[in-house]
Amino acid sequence: MAAILEAHGLAKRYRLGGSAVDALRGVSLTVDEGEFVALMGPSGSGKSTLLQLLGGLDKPTAGEVVLQGEPISQLSDDAATKLRRDRTGFVFQSFNLIPLLDVTENVALPFTIAGADTGRGEIAERIRDAIALVDLDGKEHHKPDQLSAGEQQRVAIARALVTRPALLFADEPTGNLDYTTGTEILEALWRSCVERHQTIVLVTHDSKAAAYADRVLVIGDGTIREEIVLGRRAEHDTGPLVRRLAELGL
Amino acid sequence: MRALAIRSLLARRGRSVLSIVGIALGIGVLYASLATDAGIAASIDRTVRDLVGRADLRVEAFGPSGLSADSLAAVREAPGATVVAAALERRTYLVPAAGTPDADATAPPVSVLGIDPVAEERVRDLVLVGGTELASADAPQALIPQALATELGVAVAGTVTLQGADGAPVDVKVVGILAGEGPLVGTGGRTVVLPLHAMQRLFADPTVSRIDVIAGQGASPREVADAIAVALTSQPYVLSAPADVAASLRGSTADFRSTTALIAAVALFVGAFLIFNTLSMTVTERVRELALLRAAGAQRRQLVRFVLVQAIVLGVLGAAIGLAVGLVLAELMAVELRSIAAIPFERVDPSPSAIAAVVVIGLGVTIAAALEPARRAGSIPPIEALRDRIDPAAARRARLRWLIAVFAVVGVAGLVAWPRDAGSAGLIRSGLVYTVLFGAVLTAPFVLGALGAIAGLPFRSGLRVEERLARASIARDRARTTLTVGALAVGLAMVVAVGGVAHQSRLAAAAWLAEVIPGDELLTSIRPIELDDQGIADLAAIDGVQRVSPLTLFEVARNGVRLDAAAVRGADLAADGRLQFVVGDRAAALKDLDAGGVAILPRSLADRLNLTAGSTLTLAVGEGKVADLRVAGIAERTLPGQVGESVLIGWKDATAIFGVPGAEVLAVRYAPGRMAEARPTVDESARQTALVPNPVSAVAGAVDSALSQVFGLFDALALVAVVVAALGIVNTLTVSVLERIRELGVLRAAGMTRGQVRRSVVVEAGILGIVGSILGIVTGLIAGAVLVVLSGGTPLIIEVPWSSIVVAALLGIGVSMAAAWYPARLASRLAIVAAVQHE
Repeated sequence: MAAILEAHGLAKRYRLGGSAVDALRGVSLTVDEGEFVALMGPSGSGKSTLLQLLGGLDKPTAGEVVLQGEPISQLSDDAATKLRRDRTGFVFQSFNLIPLLDVTENVALPFTIAGADTGRGEIAERIRDAIALVDLDGKEHHKPDQLSAGEQQRVAIARALVTRPALLFADEPTGNLDYTTGTEILEALWRSCVERHQTIVLVTHDSKAAAYADRVLVIGDGTIREEIVLGRRAEHDTGPLVRRLAELGL
Repeated sequence: MRALAIRSLLARRGRSVLSIVGIALGIGVLYASLATDAGIAASIDRTVRDLVGRADLRVEAFGPSGLSADSLAAVREAPGATVVAAALERRTYLVPAAGTPDADATAPPVSVLGIDPVAEERVRDLVLVGGTELASADAPQALIPQALATELGVAVAGTVTLQGADGAPVDVKVVGILAGEGPLVGTGGRTVVLPLHAMQRLFADPTVSRIDVIAGQGASPREVADAIAVALTSQPYVLSAPADVAASLRGSTADFRSTTALIAAVALFVGAFLIFNTLSMTVTERVRELALLRAAGAQRRQLVRFVLVQAIVLGVLGAAIGLAVGLVLAELMAVELRSIAAIPFERVDPSPSAIAAVVVIGLGVTIAAALEPARRAGSIPPIEALRDRIDPAAARRARLRWLIAVFAVVGVAGLVAWPRDAGSAGLIRSGLVYTVLFGAVLTAPFVLGALGAIAGLPFRSGLRVEERLARASIARDRARTTLTVGALAVGLAMVVAVGGVAHQSRLAAAAWLAEVIPGDELLTSIRPIELDDQGIADLAAIDGVQRVSPLTLFEVARNGVRLDAAAVRGADLAADGRLQFVVGDRAAALKDLDAGGVAILPRSLADRLNLTAGSTLTLAVGEGKVADLRVAGIAERTLPGQVGESVLIGWKDATAIFGVPGAEVLAVRYAPGRMAEARPTVDESARQTALVPNPVSAVAGAVDSALSQVFGLFDALALVAVVVAALGIVNTLTVSVLERIRELGVLRAAGMTRGQVRRSVVVEAGILGIVGSILGIVTGLIAGAVLVVLSGGTPLIIEVPWSSIVVAALLGIGVSMAAAWYPARLASRLAIVAAVQHE
């Protein structure tokens, strides 16, 4: 399969008062089209920083990110904004829906931002499709405060997927959810990967979430410590991953 | 806890500064209003002192003819009148010295005051800066004020030449120079003081205009007044005491003072909004921190104190800066007032107790505004500290009903600061307007949704997403939006109300002039012109002149109450198409006016006196006699007199019954389209006969410009309230951005550009501005109508002040969008990574 995303020697240094902290120290990786990759690691390992650089939300101190063959690390703000709008989608730990907008309007937001007419044609069809994918049919006109936490996060996923981005980045999407609700979210992400051939990069510290991925990159101290290939599996039991992590002493 | 409260203020420096500036501006306007009020009171006192000096009573001639020698003798003989100082006041022209290069025929006239040097000295001090006093009551000597001496270049021992009786020049020798503008108020120093007898000879006038009396020999002023009433029966007269003069002057400034006080109350009210909003936001933002304090053992009352301490710090700093702002504002108002006031305005500082009152009011309003946020801080449960996310619940949001407390405190403050002698009418009027404004604020939450949708329309086509986000943000905290919009609406309402009243006044003045004056030009004379004077016939004979109408204003008395009257020629008014009759037949009434025995009343007076067509108007004519005039008709408006509209009386009655010696004004009507051509001839002819030409348009222009100055001052003060409201908008938008940091971060991650984020904040401000403007304009129109209807006197013409509405709308929207500059910048510069991680 062709690589959709590449990172070459990514480094990120933060200045904290007088001292400097290296969050990433030369990370290189490749993500293939249609692949589900998890970045896993403890708090402070640099996994969220890596995701932000890969998604064009932040610029690296050194190194380069190449998305679909195009270097994106030094894009201007406008170009980076356009890239996010057209080619990437994000899901965060907090759902961050707009309270006044209903489900359909929240999902349609990226199109609305781009100034497209969301009421008809292919765009309306895509919005309906995204809502169906996250299993929210019948709740199109509910406001966020009428939805459960899991449902709100599913709206956020639909919003990230509605533009059919080349890549979906998810940063601890189950961090605020209980076990059952978290599973719903992971299932939704998995379905999009299998049914829509969606490429996903997921950041998590939870092995249950990472077990949904085809491949797990274990991050520690700002580098990739280990690559664990799980392959595409219909069942997502955590056994193989946990065993492998134990073998590595992680 | 106190240290924590202050640190909390320091942590939100920008917002604290905004609040301090807001309260400072409110206090500044209040201080300036009090200082101006004190200045007006002091000016009135000084004017009264200048006018009546040490006299206990003043007897003035009533009507056009002066008090006769017999009347003067009667006053002299009244028991208890120890000092009797008579004076004659007339106006004339100075004759330029021969050979003076700039001999200017159009120089304004001078007032000539004839005094009895001996008696006058006991009544008032004529302060000399050079020369000597008048030697006797007979000598042809003069005192002139410094101002006039400088203008004429005349020194002691120099000569001034006056136009005497029949225009003959009379030389008088200047023996002394008076300090400043001299003894006559409102003449701008153009006064010549002569010995009484010399002046009577000069003008061939044996009467006196007024007699000042000092009571003595154990008699009280009241007893002397009674004695004069018994002795003086041959002529109608007006008897006044210094207190009456002061009361009448105060009455004439009451509207101005009550309006200034009202605007001060409004500015303070708007300032209170800002404080309320700031502290409310602090509490909402710090819920978790305050809950943590509770969990750590802080008592409710400690948290209440936490907020109140902040309020006190803001209030004290606001009051201190407010006093400084007030000093500057008061100085600016003094400059403006000096140019428009009829009496010399002197700037005085308010008493220490008034300054203390300003500080107490400022603090009181701040604390009242802080009560609700303080109560909310006290009611935060410790469990809030354990919650994952801060999601301000409805219970933690501002309760608008607490605004009533603020409203009441500002109202009480207004009562405390109310000008004592401005009268109850102004208080009632201002109270009602204040209530209307408050009502508008209370209505705001109910109309916010609908108005917000309307206000979004202009943005919807081009900036759809920004408009949607902006409205979502506005709906997030209705109480806060209500306060922000309410403050703006109140400020703008004052602008519209003031504009509305100004517009009504201008319209009334213009309509009045157009409807009642039978001419295009007014020629005013300083001496009465007899109706058979050849000059009138000569003017009427000039080619292009259609008609010359003689007019004079005089005074009449009905049941001891003074009324303005005007002598007019009914035939002229009929031919010229003047006067709108509301009762009676116009043609017949005007014909009867010339025949005699009738009067035409203005509607306002007819309503007040409860008279209608056919009623009898009984007027005093002296020596205890009365004249009965039949009311021939009632006109919508008549000629403006000194305090109200005039009773119109035909020349025949005016001369025969009321002793009016002649016309003081000639109204010249030009033939259609011939004014430009005929006017130079008329003006030239007028100047030759010592008449001063004034086109009616110039009179209207002068009225308009005087109104503009007064209302301009009010507008400037109302603008301060709008500025305070703008600070509130900066505050609200900033908090709105800070509350949505995470949301904005997600939007940026989803592809929203910095420009879109910035525009969404600006659109939010625009919507707030439009909603505030709509609410403010509607409220202002109502408040303006209340002011116009309750001020009485001026007939109400329902007209919409479009210019004020446009100004208010532009101001409201412009100020709001300008206020969005900082918050919009803040929002667009958020780093996405930090924003999405923001707690």
